[in-house]
Amino acid sequence: MLQNAIEVKNLHKAFGDLKAVDGVSFEVAQGEIFSLLGPNGAGKTTTISMLSCLLRPDEGDALVMGHSIKDDQMGVKSVLGVVPQEIALYNDLSARENLTFWGKMYGLRGPALRSRVDEVLEIIGLTERAKDRVGKYSGGMKRRVNIGVALLHKPQVIYMDEPTVGIDPQSRRNILDSVVALKNQGMTVLYTTHYMEEAQELSDHIAIMDIGKVIAYGTNAELVKIVGQMDRITLTINAESGRVLEAWKKVQGVKQVTAQDGTLTVLADDSNQVLPRLFETSALNGVRITTVAIQEPNLEAVFLHLTGKALRD
Amino acid sequence: MIRIFDIAAKDLMQILRDRKTFLFLLIMPIAFTFLFGFAFGGFSKGVSDPRLPVAIINQDGGDLSLRLVNLLENSEVITITQDAAKTLADYEKLLTKGNLAGILIIPTGYTDALLTGSLPPLSLEANITQTAGTTIQSEILAAANRLTSAVQTALIVGQTSSAFGPAFEQALSAWDNPPIRIESTSAVVQTGPKVSSQVAALAQTSPAMMLQFAIAGLLTCGAVIVNERKTRSLQRLLTTATRRSHILLGHYLAIFVLLFAQFLVLMTFGQLFLKVDYFRQPAATLLVAVASSLCIAALGLLIGVFAKNEEQAIAFSLIPMFLFSGLGGAWTPLEYTSATFQAIGHVTPVAWAMDGFKNITVRLLGFESVLVPCAALAGYAVLFFLLAAWRFRRVSE
Repeated sequence: MLQNAIEVKNLHKAFGDLKAVDGVSFEVAQGEIFSLLGPNGAGKTTTISMLSCLLRPDEGDALVMGHSIKDDQMGVKSVLGVVPQEIALYNDLSARENLTFWGKMYGLRGPALRSRVDEVLEIIGLTERAKDRVGKYSGGMKRRVNIGVALLHKPQVIYMDEPTVGIDPQSRRNILDSVVALKNQGMTVLYTTHYMEEAQELSDHIAIMDIGKVIAYGTNAELVKIVGQMDRITLTINAESGRVLEAWKKVQGVKQVTAQDGTLTVLADDSNQVLPRLFETSALNGVRITTVAIQEPNLEAVFLHLTGKALRD
Repeated sequence: MIRIFDIAAKDLMQILRDRKTFLFLLIMPIAFTFLFGFAFGGFSKGVSDPRLPVAIINQDGGDLSLRLVNLLENSEVITITQDAAKTLADYEKLLTKGNLAGILIIPTGYTDALLTGSLPPLSLEANITQTAGTTIQSEILAAANRLTSAVQTALIVGQTSSAFGPAFEQALSAWDNPPIRIESTSAVVQTGPKVSSQVAALAQTSPAMMLQFAIAGLLTCGAVIVNERKTRSLQRLLTTATRRSHILLGHYLAIFVLLFAQFLVLMTFGQLFLKVDYFRQPAATLLVAVASSLCIAALGLLIGVFAKNEEQAIAFSLIPMFLFSGLGGAWTPLEYTSATFQAIGHVTPVAWAMDGFKNITVRLLGFESVLVPCAALAGYAVLFFLLAAWRFRRVSE
């Protein structure tokens, strides 16, 4: 029996001079939720596209339930459900018509198709609105149909490419709950996101990507250990960051200081000890601290530690 | 394979939900058929004679030459003009202007030569590179052969039975030398009626508007394909076990079915209410409709895969509509234009489709007359489809 649902081996993909994916490798065990976390442009969607057989890798290969994305594309597609980042639906068809069409594309026919469409409508909570055209739905409802399509043929593996982008908090909560529900049904979920909280909440394992590479890989706890359990202090000041940046780097207990878009981020062993020293140093430099936020170690800090930049859009 | 039909059914559902579809495919062509029909006198009272006009100069004047003229006068394909006051030069001017489709010269001694068992050549001036020219040639050849064989038979019957062998050989060899010599001309060939008549005018405008708005209607078909790409539904389709070729064929099938249905409805309308005799040759008419639908559907596919958004789909549909209709004889019959314009017109598929339909409804020709136009349309269909397939492969990667 297969241990891993997905095995990615040294994938490369370039578009001209741009190396979108540069030697990515990871493994996803059966029945787990695996997140690819990274900012926009990190190479997550390109990776997913190769694993969906939409793009052919320049180098490397991947096995999805034992099927090679290079040599057995139909085999890969038969075990796969994909929830793309975009609302990939036909707006002038109703939810039921969309699901029926996509069900046929996944090989379902007749009574089996009809009953599965009914089931999926129930799962996504749109039975009452099944006859309405998708074009008239809210963003959240469209997202639900978008996910429903991928569930029609009960795939063994589901890819979800940033499924919560641009939707309201309630719909987002529903989607995150449904991802957990899929895992509980035994499906393997490969989830891409640039929201650290989602990756933390959902994932059994996480690969952090940046500039086409996997820069860290492990469970949430394992990744957080990379930054050594440091606290993250985010501050804004009433002056140019350059006036205190170098001085703060010399403060006892401070491990790293970065500035981005007028916000200073300090990684420190103990924020309670460091914070008074930061106030003192800034006063000596004639700078006033206007806001302070302290955060326990998390993936954001890991990303900051590894790349020197914040994990954001 | 069944996915091709699933995709086609989905496309048709989408296309038919767009009200523009009915506007372009049914309402506009009917309205414009009436409009252009009025413009060309399609609703005025007139005598219709759709036969091809051929002038005869009978230099022989003997019995058998008169019998040949008589045979041609009864033709359903050509109509005879004879005017003793006119010279060959006069007729050639008319041929150049397009008022004649051909000039037949029956040479002096034609009757005598036939009676002595030889085969005197007839002379025909016509453009045999065009359908009308070859039609005239075939018709005159058939009449001349008929007359010649009758004479040969009579001569053979008049001989004694002991001379059967030489007589038989003589009759057999009579077919070795064709009784007509063709002189090809580049003159414009008048393939339609000399004057606008009710039936001929509507037989021009009915298929013309049908073809024109079939192309215009591609904007809704193209938009479906464009939107599929824009919403990334195409990418999603490619993550299922559906082949690229099946997706392309599914879209093609949908457009073909839509256009063929449009043609059937509008031809039936033309037959019942405009008295355009589409169903005089049902098999030929259906063949032209199928070939036209295949060609325009492939064009629709090409538009769909090349357009980047709905606005482009509209522009890409309207540009060929105007270009192909204007050049292809949908607005003005090509028979009324110069030889150069006719040649340019036949670069467009609309000209071939018009030839096909008018060979049936105006020129009253048979099934064979639509084969060349249908082959040309099929050629365009293959060209457009291959271009679309090449582009589709690129945009879907």
